[in-house]
Amino acid sequence: MLSEPVKRELTRIVAPENISFQPEDLLCYSYDATGRRYLPECVLFPHTAEEVSLILKMANAEGIPVVPRGAGTGFTGGSLPLRGGIVLSTERMTTIEIDTDNMVGVAGAGTVTWDFAQKAESVGLFYPPDPTSLKVSTIGGNIAECAGGPRGLKYGVTKDYVLAVEVVLPTGELIKTAPGKTFKGVVGYNLTGLITGSEGTLGVVTRAWLKLLPLPEEKRLLVATFDTLERAGKTVIEIIKAGGFLPSALELIDGVCLKAVDEYAKMGLGGVGAAIIVEADGRREVVDLDMEEARDICHRMGASSVDVAKDEKRMKELWSLRRAISPALKRVGSLKLNEDVVVPRTEIVELIRGIEGISRKRDVTIASFGHAGDGNIHVNIMVNKDDPEEVERGEASVGDLFELTLRLGGTISGEHGVGITKSDYIGMELNRDTLELMMRLKRAFDPNNILNPGKIFKEEGVGV
Amino acid sequence: MKELKDYREEIERCVRCGTCRSVCPTLDTVRRESHCARGRLAMIEAYLNGEELGERYLKYIKECTLCGACYTSCPNEINTPEIILSARAEYVKKKGMPAFTSFTLKSLLEPAPLTKLALKVAAKLKSLFFKSTPFESGLVSRFSLPVVGEGRLVPEPADPFFLDRAHIRRLATREDYGRMKVGFFVGCGVNYLLPSIGEHTIRVLEKAGINVAVPQGQVCCGIPALSMGDSETAKRVMMKNIEVFEQYGFDRIVTSCATCGHTLKDIFKVVLSDEQGMKERVEAFTSKIRDITEFLVDELDYRGEKTDKRAGVVTYHDPCHLRRFQGISEQPRKLLEESPYEFRGMKNPCRCCGLGGGVSFTNYELSMKIAGRKAENIKKSGADVVATACPGCIVQLKDALYHHDVKARVVHVVELL
Repeated sequence: MLSEPVKRELTRIVAPENISFQPEDLLCYSYDATGRRYLPECVLFPHTAEEVSLILKMANAEGIPVVPRGAGTGFTGGSLPLRGGIVLSTERMTTIEIDTDNMVGVAGAGTVTWDFAQKAESVGLFYPPDPTSLKVSTIGGNIAECAGGPRGLKYGVTKDYVLAVEVVLPTGELIKTAPGKTFKGVVGYNLTGLITGSEGTLGVVTRAWLKLLPLPEEKRLLVATFDTLERAGKTVIEIIKAGGFLPSALELIDGVCLKAVDEYAKMGLGGVGAAIIVEADGRREVVDLDMEEARDICHRMGASSVDVAKDEKRMKELWSLRRAISPALKRVGSLKLNEDVVVPRTEIVELIRGIEGISRKRDVTIASFGHAGDGNIHVNIMVNKDDPEEVERGEASVGDLFELTLRLGGTISGEHGVGITKSDYIGMELNRDTLELMMRLKRAFDPNNILNPGKIFKEEGVGV
Repeated sequence: MKELKDYREEIERCVRCGTCRSVCPTLDTVRRESHCARGRLAMIEAYLNGEELGERYLKYIKECTLCGACYTSCPNEINTPEIILSARAEYVKKKGMPAFTSFTLKSLLEPAPLTKLALKVAAKLKSLFFKSTPFESGLVSRFSLPVVGEGRLVPEPADPFFLDRAHIRRLATREDYGRMKVGFFVGCGVNYLLPSIGEHTIRVLEKAGINVAVPQGQVCCGIPALSMGDSETAKRVMMKNIEVFEQYGFDRIVTSCATCGHTLKDIFKVVLSDEQGMKERVEAFTSKIRDITEFLVDELDYRGEKTDKRAGVVTYHDPCHLRRFQGISEQPRKLLEESPYEFRGMKNPCRCCGLGGGVSFTNYELSMKIAGRKAENIKKSGADVVATACPGCIVQLKDALYHHDVKARVVHVVELL
């Protein structure tokens, strides 16, 4: 419970209109896209890094848990206030500056990624990281989780664009990890890289310097359908191997997902076994050739249909269809065990076969889709939440899936992070010494374990 | 009418993905989770589960413009606006309505002779309360007035009201209806504030070969009452309208108000369908409703005179209730192509103007902030005239443009034909 003096001090730091103890507001900051719920005791809406610093100093002194939160779209519970305390919302920190000549953008943590990308586009620049939630999620959240997206294959993920972060440490110090507008810099440890993907456990990112690229002139996109997921998977590998170009996106969608999303989008993809989306970007003359190549490969690999999007409107439609898959899966099962494993690209077909095996063995519906081009598949084990026995089979399937993934040389999370939903499994991938080192880092940053406690690592050995 | 608990399954369909955050005009302005469908649904779910919620619950569900942007973008197709209406009704049923709101609503929706008199006296004394504006015809309140608030620009009240005008009274029935037997549902916006839309609707229909009738005795569509959670009043006025229009045996009933259109087509079913013996009558009534732009384009194939488009530049604002709930967005634009104006689109034409859902009355400041974004986009379009198809939007846009010093006229599409 927050004491009265603590409440007063917090109110003084951010001003009364930027703090709430009301049950309605606490409720609104109790969930994320995992659908789980933990009530905080207070929500704060700071405007500046200095305010964040004062809040953390106080929380550190008083031992109050603080959970940073962007838009709350995470799938692993990174922004859930597991132990109550303070939710620190970055929603008000929404500044954007673009330095066109240096090709660097500077964004406040609460800036919606889409807004930032649009602003860059308006001056002919390009911010590639495109998590599926990009119209909602924030730069701060994307950095904390090192968000990926369809463009990962060609352009990499969030960490490949973060030049520097301004970050408030759990003990309240405000630091900047690098100069920001230089693309190189090797003085001292790579703290930027350490903070990026640390799931809000090492510091609160308040501002970020982000690398921008020239905006590609044109984009082309095709959708090809296949009778089986395996055939679609083989085509993905073939396109990268033989296509002579790196697609700006190469997505795989299975029949279960297509059926679910088609009920919403009604584009006649309901009865299809699997589909892939191939996107190419670059100079006009080149993307047309790339598309031709991709189309030929799809035909050669036995596609049932190949549809090259005619205009931008159709491309947008297809992408919004793709973005709707994850939430639309609610139609398939009331509880979604949502995993995002990655395997080396060449193992995609093995992974698909293995998943089909798990689905048969455990008798659960599994819906798979994702960024197959870089070996990253979103595997959704769909169960009925009111059937404990089915839930148990679902959870066992998660274990099977991770075992399979690691056997194929992969990782159990490519984009979503560990949070609370994967912390039981972290030991499958990381050995004891590695885990120990990570926990030592956490203790060095956050000796009192006040920042986002209970995330990534299971309790023992962390904090005090 | 469905009760809030009947929406439980739909409410539980929310997976908290947050897609609604990217489209909600209130979230965009307030930047807090309480102001998006995900937050509101979470609160309503908690309310249904009997959790202790305070005053802010009502505030947050009232501060929704019911624009429907969340609904059309929701991957699980949750009709949050309808759920919010139901939550408001539930709240009012349980806790009662603040006396003043109730009084004002009832007197406006079911005007007794005394109310009409009061409005007329107010109209005569308007200079006491309002200053008039130099550019657009309209009045700005000099100080805070009940319902109106301070600093709000409102159109000068119609004098006399549209339905009371002698030549309109004569149109209660027609001897020769022309191509089709059509009735005109006027709505409060046109009747009390913007009668010229009504006059132009009749004129344009006549040009297209329809002699429209304007039935006397018709009343408010009911949505203002329902928005405030007063489902009983809403039910009563809706029934009254069905009774009035039923007697005629119209082929079509047109309206030039997007909100009335959506209410007459869709909300009547929500409110009245499970009333004893009403299902078929409601069905028959709602199936005849057409928005004026929809009717002119889809059924009358309206064509204007050839002009050189030198009257000026017009842009178009999509009323939420027209585009999202009735799927009408091409027709008004087609009509503008038939006008003497050059058409130029604006950025985000379908972003809510901020008036709807009663937000203009429950939180004028929020409503105007939402409208401010619209005003910016209108300014950037460089248009001389903003056309739309909803009196509510017109009132709001006039107010917003006045406060942002944007010199563009705001009109209904039919006024340019």
